[in-house]
Amino acid sequence: MSRNLQQAGVRLLNALSRHSDIIMQAYLTGGVDESQVSPKVLEQLKNLNILWRPEPDSDLRLKSAVRNLLEAGLNDERNRHINANIGSAIAALTTLSQHYKEALYNQRFEQAQAHLNNLTEQVYVLTDMLSNGVRALFGRINNEFGYVDSLDAKIRENELAQSQVSDLLNQLEMIRFDELVQVAGSDRDLRHLLVVVLQNSFARCTQELAIVQAKLLELLGRFREYRGRTRLLKGFLLHNEQQPDFVPSDYTKMSNVPLLFNVAPGLLQPAAVDVQNSEHELDLQAIVSSIRDFRHLKKAQPERSARNIQIEEQQEVALEDDQLSQAVDNYFCEVIESGAYITALDYHHKQQLEFDPEAWLYQVIGGYEGLPEEEQRYFAIDALGEPHPIYNGNYVISDVVLGLR
Amino acid sequence: MMTQQGLVLEQLLSGQFICEVSDEEAWRYLQGESNAQKIETQLNLLNRTLATAAEGEVFYAAYQDLADKERKVLTSQFQDIANNLLPLVEWLLLVQEAAGSDMPVSRGLPIRLNELQTVIEDTPAFAEQIEKISRYRLFGSTSTTLDGQIKQVFKRLVDLGYLLKPNPEKQLFIATGKIDYLFEVLRFIDDAENLSLSQQAEMAAKQESLL
Repeated sequence: MSRNLQQAGVRLLNALSRHSDIIMQAYLTGGVDESQVSPKVLEQLKNLNILWRPEPDSDLRLKSAVRNLLEAGLNDERNRHINANIGSAIAALTTLSQHYKEALYNQRFEQAQAHLNNLTEQVYVLTDMLSNGVRALFGRINNEFGYVDSLDAKIRENELAQSQVSDLLNQLEMIRFDELVQVAGSDRDLRHLLVVVLQNSFARCTQELAIVQAKLLELLGRFREYRGRTRLLKGFLLHNEQQPDFVPSDYTKMSNVPLLFNVAPGLLQPAAVDVQNSEHELDLQAIVSSIRDFRHLKKAQPERSARNIQIEEQQEVALEDDQLSQAVDNYFCEVIESGAYITALDYHHKQQLEFDPEAWLYQVIGGYEGLPEEEQRYFAIDALGEPHPIYNGNYVISDVVLGLR
Repeated sequence: MMTQQGLVLEQLLSGQFICEVSDEEAWRYLQGESNAQKIETQLNLLNRTLATAAEGEVFYAAYQDLADKERKVLTSQFQDIANNLLPLVEWLLLVQEAAGSDMPVSRGLPIRLNELQTVIEDTPAFAEQIEKISRYRLFGSTSTTLDGQIKQVFKRLVDLGYLLKPNPEKQLFIATGKIDYLFEVLRFIDDAENLSLSQQAEMAAKQESLL
């Protein structure tokens, strides 16, 4: 018997793995595209109770057992179904334990062992079902019903989850431990299964459900708050469209100003530097040394280029410059024409030039240096002056004399 | 080194709002009854008191006693609030609609400027809206490009304390508790003026769906 069962199970699992893509397609889209798959395979899957056809003209769908397996295995958040038929499960447990006790009483130990195994399986299925239910609820809370888009849908989902929680709680009340204690009697194994295991799972489950319920209420409150806020914003815009000159009355004129509008402005200003504090010395030094960087940064912003550039002034400067060099050229010509040695300052004086004498001297020297070498050879230039009275080696030029070679 | 108490006091006296997003440690500090009491005594010295809004989510300093001088300050402040309400509401709705969600902007909500900007650039109605919003005196943008307008709006909101930019390198903004404060102001005005704004919005939505 068990050998046959094993073979059939292996065949089923093999079929599952061989046709995994068909099954996943059915899981994800809801039905199988029959034109893509050979009818033989479909027939085989139907015979193995993996697929079924709910109505003659509908698609082939996954059996709910397979779907449940996938949902549990994949932790799929779409698993919104909570199966909690605890009443019948408890009735089954009571019946099985009576079978077990009867078999023990009649000393049919093998049969008793089979019944106990079955009972163990049932108890664990029940506890697994409870914890799955709670897990599914938590999953939905944790992503805040992320699988639906709009707030209204979230609120509806939340209400569904709340009704499921109260259903679960109602069903949990059906586990009466006094009755189970009586059923278990003095049998150690039965007591362990029916009282200890169930009790643990029951306690955990009710505790978690209480948390779930609180969270759901909190979430619902938040969703409603969000909805209220959006309406508030939209309402305010509408109101402003209808009454563009709307101004709220000044609540600060009321004898008791609402706390909401009583906001004291800032009063602290940045503290000043204490240069006497030696502890700050390093920091202040660092600040001072970074000041140069600030200047550097300021230079790097030549963006404001749209200003009018005052061209006239620059031209004036150039003109003056030209006058100076023009005068120097004239001076050189005078020297050539007269053929005599003329000092620069004398010429300056004679022509009543307006330039600063020092600038004039520099320009004359510069003018000489600026000539091409062969032209320089025609002129002899000599500096008049005396050595500096204090600093050795320094020669103070007071005038320049220029003549023809 | 300054103590937590000193830091909190400094923030309050600089006119800042303290919420879980802007400064979590300070906010937790103020949750403690005895800590709040300590701060309160120190604020009282300067004619200020610790005030909360949005169900204890936001702390700020309020005047303890109101004389003419304080009233004058509050009146001008209120005028600012009243004038800025419309631009802020329009901005809040724009962000919400551009994100395509029913969730209004509220404390802790991250806003990725790049994503938002892409949506706004691709939708002419949003682009028009941001241009209109940026022209309000509150934001005072003169930029002709959408990029400049949106950046200016966000910069101003950071300056005003409605948004936080945790990383100066990244264009990620987080809404602070001051947004919740703003909602509370709206709700207060709604109640005080009997505007029934929510009902108006609901009616309008119903009419739209009928059409």
